[in-house]
Amino acid sequence: MLNPIERIKIKLAVSLGWTMQGKLPEAIRNFQATEADGVWHLRRGMRLLADPRQKAIVFSHSIEEESHADEFTRAYHHYGARPMQPANYERADLYDPKSPAWKTFAFVHVGEHDATERFRLIHKELGNGVLKESLGKIVADEEGHVDLTHDLLLAMGATPGQIKREILKVRLKRAWDRWLRVGKGVVDIFATALLSLIYYVAGFFLFTAARRKLSSRFVEYDNNHLKKLSR
Amino acid sequence: MKVLGISYGYHDSSACLVVDGRIVAGAAEERFTRQKHDPNFPTYAIEHCLEKARLTPRDLDEVVFHEDPHAKFSRVLCAAVAPFPGSRKEFVNSVKAWLGRKLWSLNTISKRLNVAPDRISYLSHHFSHAVTGFIGSGFDEAAILIVDAVGDWACSALYKGAWVDGKPKIDRLLEIAYPNSLGLVYSAVTAYLGFNPNDSECSTMALAGFGRPIFADKIREIITKLDDDSYEVDQSYFSFQSFYRGPVTERFLKAFGPARATNDKLPFNCFSDGQSNGHSTEESISSDAQRFADVAASVQLVLEERVLGLAQKLHSMAPSENLCFAGGVSLNCVLNSRLLRESPFENIYIPPDPGDGGTAIGAALYCSALGGSLAPRSLSYSPYLGAEFDETSDAAMVKHIKFEHILGYLKRGLTLPANTRLTSKTFDSDEALCEEVSTLLMERNIVGWFNGRFELGPRALGNRSILVRPDDTALAERLSRTVKDRAAFRPYAFSVSEEDATKALAIDPSLNRMMRWMQYAVPVRPEIANQVRAALHVDGTTRVQVCNASENPTYHALLTTFGRKFGIGTLLNTSFNPSGYPIVATPVEAMAMFVRTGMDALVLNRTLIRKEVG
Repeated sequence: MLNPIERIKIKLAVSLGWTMQGKLPEAIRNFQATEADGVWHLRRGMRLLADPRQKAIVFSHSIEEESHADEFTRAYHHYGARPMQPANYERADLYDPKSPAWKTFAFVHVGEHDATERFRLIHKELGNGVLKESLGKIVADEEGHVDLTHDLLLAMGATPGQIKREILKVRLKRAWDRWLRVGKGVVDIFATALLSLIYYVAGFFLFTAARRKLSSRFVEYDNNHLKKLSR
Repeated sequence: MKVLGISYGYHDSSACLVVDGRIVAGAAEERFTRQKHDPNFPTYAIEHCLEKARLTPRDLDEVVFHEDPHAKFSRVLCAAVAPFPGSRKEFVNSVKAWLGRKLWSLNTISKRLNVAPDRISYLSHHFSHAVTGFIGSGFDEAAILIVDAVGDWACSALYKGAWVDGKPKIDRLLEIAYPNSLGLVYSAVTAYLGFNPNDSECSTMALAGFGRPIFADKIREIITKLDDDSYEVDQSYFSFQSFYRGPVTERFLKAFGPARATNDKLPFNCFSDGQSNGHSTEESISSDAQRFADVAASVQLVLEERVLGLAQKLHSMAPSENLCFAGGVSLNCVLNSRLLRESPFENIYIPPDPGDGGTAIGAALYCSALGGSLAPRSLSYSPYLGAEFDETSDAAMVKHIKFEHILGYLKRGLTLPANTRLTSKTFDSDEALCEEVSTLLMERNIVGWFNGRFELGPRALGNRSILVRPDDTALAERLSRTVKDRAAFRPYAFSVSEEDATKALAIDPSLNRMMRWMQYAVPVRPEIANQVRAALHVDGTTRVQVCNASENPTYHALLTTFGRKFGIGTLLNTSFNPSGYPIVATPVEAMAMFVRTGMDALVLNRTLIRKEVG
């Protein structure tokens, strides 16, 4: 279940935030990135599997996720007038490749579960349209994925106790990451305010110099030689 | 001497490792992370390079970064402050990005790799391009032209290079400063035309083929040619600082009309029969669509004129027969052909990855050369520097894939019979594989071809390619619709074996070697035009790859075998990537694209996987 704050955030976003110009396509782009991210982690996880049957299951799962990402791309193009920019956050493996494979899939399981909850609520709040139609299909698939990933964890040899503990760890990590994001958001507000102030104060004195610098047609200093960081 | 070159921070992050004067590995980060033009720290590309040489970061003698972060920050700051008081948002966003991360790139390298700061060096951005161009060229001396969007401060740069006392000596002649950027103008027009800037400039170039350059005079006014053969960009038409929010100003819109929305149709078709002058035979062209094509044609023409002007200026400053051309603008194959035809230079070298991704190579090579571990003029490298993968374990899962389950998740609009299944077969030799694949190609199948190490740079050159026979436009249209999601105005290209190149191309055979990496649009001989009809643009040219046996023996063998059946060793060759994603790197990614799209067969090294009905 989503916590009450998350629920309120989603309801506000759907009813208010997404009515602002450009916000709905931006949200859809993030959904697309989430699904594409899931595909990437599943395929990275596949490298750790030796059993071809398990590989085939994860492969099919990744195909479904990929088609979800495509659904969101389609929805983006329906609502957005500009081309979709590729996501550019840094991707990294969830675990050291030497860790047991099931740990990666425990992370994926939690991600699937949370995404399903979120998409289900958005689907409920949305009025009819392309996004609602896409989400309807995606939510039905994702519900299956939550069970599938859990079964996969057992098939990979993890005990129910291990799975429970790992899921708890993942949940704590995700909660911590969320807090970090909130903290970053708060810092960001202050940084924006401070930098805006600097802009209006320093900018007033510096803009003529900046314009002068930009008006020179050639680069005057020679910057073309090997330089050492420590110097 | 072991030198690692790194490029990251804007787009196309990459890494390259040079050991004792030899490039061991080089790759773009996007191939590993599946995010097109990934700008982040190239963790996986570095991992690949080090693994290939069985090294750890501690073994590295030097790590070289491709640009000067301090110089770049000063440019970003100036650009953000100059439009005061209307640029608060741009200033805040730029400073946050730079103070938060980008300014400390060198420290990040030191921390991430655990390498002491005194082993980390850096070059200026355009200089990295220049050395990438010169050192790989094999020329004793050359003039060097760099044109891209923007580096540290420079947008276009002229250098001359020579080997002196066994070391490369590269002198700066002239650098044209931001915001006078030909690359940014082209990208801005790309965005105006509804395509992705920094990605789909090739769409602008392709669309230009359907237009008339009726706006060329206006564009010439905007990118003014100066008496000294350089140029200046009228900034009142552009808003480079807020590129992704709208890179052109009201003044531009007033001059050229409203911008195109991404979904607006452009019903041009390069597969049309030619009688309709390349225009679609099914849909009429709206005046807006024609206007967009005309704008594209105009900006393409003026770009060519201005770069030719720079080439002439460069030749007068550094008289030479040889030109090394690099920077993102050198990916424009129509421009490159014009340089080849009309510039004062006899020989042109464009590195396999002339964009920012390639600067990691230049940085590593230059440092290696200064350290004395690079023999002068000895270095000529192929683009096959990426990772290779054994397909055995992934191919083993084929018989366990329940295709009936996948049928519900095919590419939108594609249907396959319910009793479709996957089969796989492994071959003992390349000869047997090529024989079977050639038969499939002759039978009008769409074949994914995955072989060995993936290519460095944006072109699929026969190791991560999708192939079809080149004479069948209906097949090419099926490829566009069911596999590539590709607009009909974008032409395909073909590969030809070196032995058949003269039969196919209407160019001087001495130029064949320059055509190795799909960098020039050249005309084909009229007598074979029908045989390669599906891989031609409306003007009868193609962005050809002349494949030789020494650079890519397996792909060359396939071209030769196919040629025996088809009459000429040519294949339509397009990159192996789903729309919006980078070219595939691993067998699993190749299989995923294969099963979800209208591809009929997939070759993973020596394993052939097919969709069969029944």
